[in-house]
Amino acid sequence: MTTDNDKLKNLLKDLPVPEPSPEARERAVKAAMAEFNRRGAADKKNIKGFSFWGRLKNKTLKGGPMMTRKITYSVGLAFSLLLAVIVMMPNFVSYRKGATEQPPVKTVPAVIPPGPALDAGPVIREKALAEHKFDAAPESGYGRQQLEIAADFNRPAPAATGMPKLALESASVEKDAAFRPPDQTYAGRDRFETLTPNPVKAAREEPVSTFSIDVDTAAYAFVRRALNSGELPQKNAVRIEELINYFSYDYPLPADRSVPFKATVNVFPTPWNPATRLLHLGIKGYDLVPTGKPKANLVFLIDVSGSMNSPDKLPLLKNAFRMLVEALEAKDSVAVVVYAGAAGTVLEPTPVKEKGRILAVLDRLTAGGSTAGGEGIRQAYALAEANFDPKGVNRVILATDGDFNVGIRDPEELKGFVERKRQTGIYLTVLGFGRGNYNDALMQKLAQNGNGVAAYIDTLNEARKVLVDEAQASLFAIAKDVKIQIEFNPAVVAEYRLIGYETRLLRREDFNNDRVDAGDIGAGHSVTALYEITPTGSSGRLIDDLRYGSRPSPGGDRTVEQSGEYAFLKIRYKLPAAEESRLITTPVNREREYRTLDEVPEDARFAAAVAAFGQVLRGDPHVKNFGYDDVLKLAEAARGKDRFGYRAEFLNLVRLAKTARAMGDR
Amino acid sequence: MDHLTDIELVALSLEGNAPAFEHLVKRHYGTVFRLSYKWCGLKEDAEDIAQEVFIKLAQKLKTFGQKSSFKTWIYRITVNTAKDFIRKSITKRGYENAYVIEQEDANPGPPVGHHLEAKRLVKALGRLPEKQKAAVLLVLSEGLSHQEAARVLNCPERTVSWRIFQARKSLKKYLEHPI
Repeated sequence: MTTDNDKLKNLLKDLPVPEPSPEARERAVKAAMAEFNRRGAADKKNIKGFSFWGRLKNKTLKGGPMMTRKITYSVGLAFSLLLAVIVMMPNFVSYRKGATEQPPVKTVPAVIPPGPALDAGPVIREKALAEHKFDAAPESGYGRQQLEIAADFNRPAPAATGMPKLALESASVEKDAAFRPPDQTYAGRDRFETLTPNPVKAAREEPVSTFSIDVDTAAYAFVRRALNSGELPQKNAVRIEELINYFSYDYPLPADRSVPFKATVNVFPTPWNPATRLLHLGIKGYDLVPTGKPKANLVFLIDVSGSMNSPDKLPLLKNAFRMLVEALEAKDSVAVVVYAGAAGTVLEPTPVKEKGRILAVLDRLTAGGSTAGGEGIRQAYALAEANFDPKGVNRVILATDGDFNVGIRDPEELKGFVERKRQTGIYLTVLGFGRGNYNDALMQKLAQNGNGVAAYIDTLNEARKVLVDEAQASLFAIAKDVKIQIEFNPAVVAEYRLIGYETRLLRREDFNNDRVDAGDIGAGHSVTALYEITPTGSSGRLIDDLRYGSRPSPGGDRTVEQSGEYAFLKIRYKLPAAEESRLITTPVNREREYRTLDEVPEDARFAAAVAAFGQVLRGDPHVKNFGYDDVLKLAEAARGKDRFGYRAEFLNLVRLAKTARAMGDR
Repeated sequence: MDHLTDIELVALSLEGNAPAFEHLVKRHYGTVFRLSYKWCGLKEDAEDIAQEVFIKLAQKLKTFGQKSSFKTWIYRITVNTAKDFIRKSITKRGYENAYVIEQEDANPGPPVGHHLEAKRLVKALGRLPEKQKAAVLLVLSEGLSHQEAARVLNCPERTVSWRIFQARKSLKKYLEHPI
């Protein structure tokens, strides 16, 4: 024991630390000196070192703590109002700019750390602090740090040469902010996997396209959130397939329940390109009959770390889970694991009959601490396994902002863990919350590898959609590892391009390999995929014929090739408990081809509109002559019944995007 | 100026003596960088943290109470800055991995066995809760007494001891069963 302790101590003592680079050291000294000189100058201006803020605080302190708070708040409020006025009146700003050396808050919007709207009060007070150089003891907060440095740049720089690194950064931020309207593409610190739109492929050279289905909807909710705050989402956040699959479509159902779903294919003119056509593939899974609902064994794994302490995170999450518990049936069971600095089970598996107990536990959750997400996941799976019901649905529902900073932190390790657990038959649902630090890439990885779905919850309505209205689809999988493979007929299709699904592409050989994981379909889920295809002989072809390439397709059957079929569709899936996949095949012939857009079923047209929207948002080159107005027109005519109002909301988002673009510079 | 104590340098700085302040910064840069590096495991980040610490030092100089020692004070600013930096860091890289790679590239270093253990230890440190990590780094690695660490972390001495005890347990567990 002691030797162990000593060894640990020795190891810690001798931790190898590299030499800091002399440049960095020099930079730090310069930055500190600049700050020091600035402070000194500021002090001389103030009466005996008492700043306005300091004097104010001193005065108010005499009035007792309650009084202090009141005065502080009212001063804060006064400044907020003043600032609001200044911000809202650009003319006033320019007037002030001309009149004084120190322009007011114009620098501030860009440097405020992204936060929920409700935080505006304190943030604005920080602005006031930064602007007026109150000598409130600086805290360790970076936001304030940046604010002060940025504001300071209006003065003549103390050390013009060899400007410290931090200050330089702030300077450029400030400069940008001065010339840019506050609404701009939101870059934030949310982490997304990089997306490159699928390229156009020549059917003659590469006739086969393979991908996994994706029923996640997180991207749509994230895009909505960005647009609702007047910003265009970052391009990597726009996963078109998730935008499309956010909506439910009434595709035909399978005739009997021996197959879990049916595929429908339509071919119709591309709204954004007269020279091409869209191949629209719709899959609809059957709904569960209420009596046949399996028992649900759910483990809520809830992130209660400090970062969740914001109105759009933990409180929203609690409400979401409350709604889910209300929607469950008495036979189902719920367990709750929380994680922050440490992970712990706060509720052992409890039947929903005892709803009161579950709700009471949810109510008591508060946020605090760092995030030991890895350990939490382990415990949640352990509980789900302990309570495993082979006939029921066993699912871990993870709710987090994705900021795992303690425990298993390496995404690959986490991925490996959920991947191993997948084989035990436990499914995973990942619910993302919050913004500013949202780790979408990790959430997607977890969901994709843990037989799961990922959704992003930005509002209570979204929680209702995911956890109540679509609870069946979210909780009960009817088929897993669903893969799609399309072989295009080069006699009819010259080129094709898969729209979206960039993160879900599979290799051709993966299709028949049952060990390769793919997406799941829940009860009542619909899945849509769109290909833009260029018929042979169309003027819209992008790829030239090969000079030496006029050979017949290898191994193909010439008579089938001449049949006029567009493509051949193959779908592989596994039933939830099965390990072996089944195959559905269907030729795409001219039966369901439409000459004009108007004849096309509403659902297919709406899907095309959403696809167009996603591409316009991303600035994809294939839709360059198609704008938000065209999307609006297309979607408006295809709204259909729109029972829950989701499509109406989409129309609104398109309008918001139009405004956001007009304001931004994209 | 080498003969002046930290406290004296602070006093001179407060009178507006820039060389005194510069001396203070240079004197402590190494310490601050070292702790920052142990905290985050990446040289560039540690340099950024150190710079930030000294900017804060300039800002807070006035609030330095003569009650505490200067060393305690600068350690406290460093720990807080490092914590914030990690939390708000734009790129949440796997710090422990970065640390290891850098070590391998930069210096062939001590014998393999020791090096391997150090690697694992750094990884394990990254998994500790912040408070435990701070206590362990200050006491076991930087060699502060429990009492001094308690002043840095602004908590009772027994809390420091308790955190170290807890951290030791987890560290040993991690070291024996690396995940």
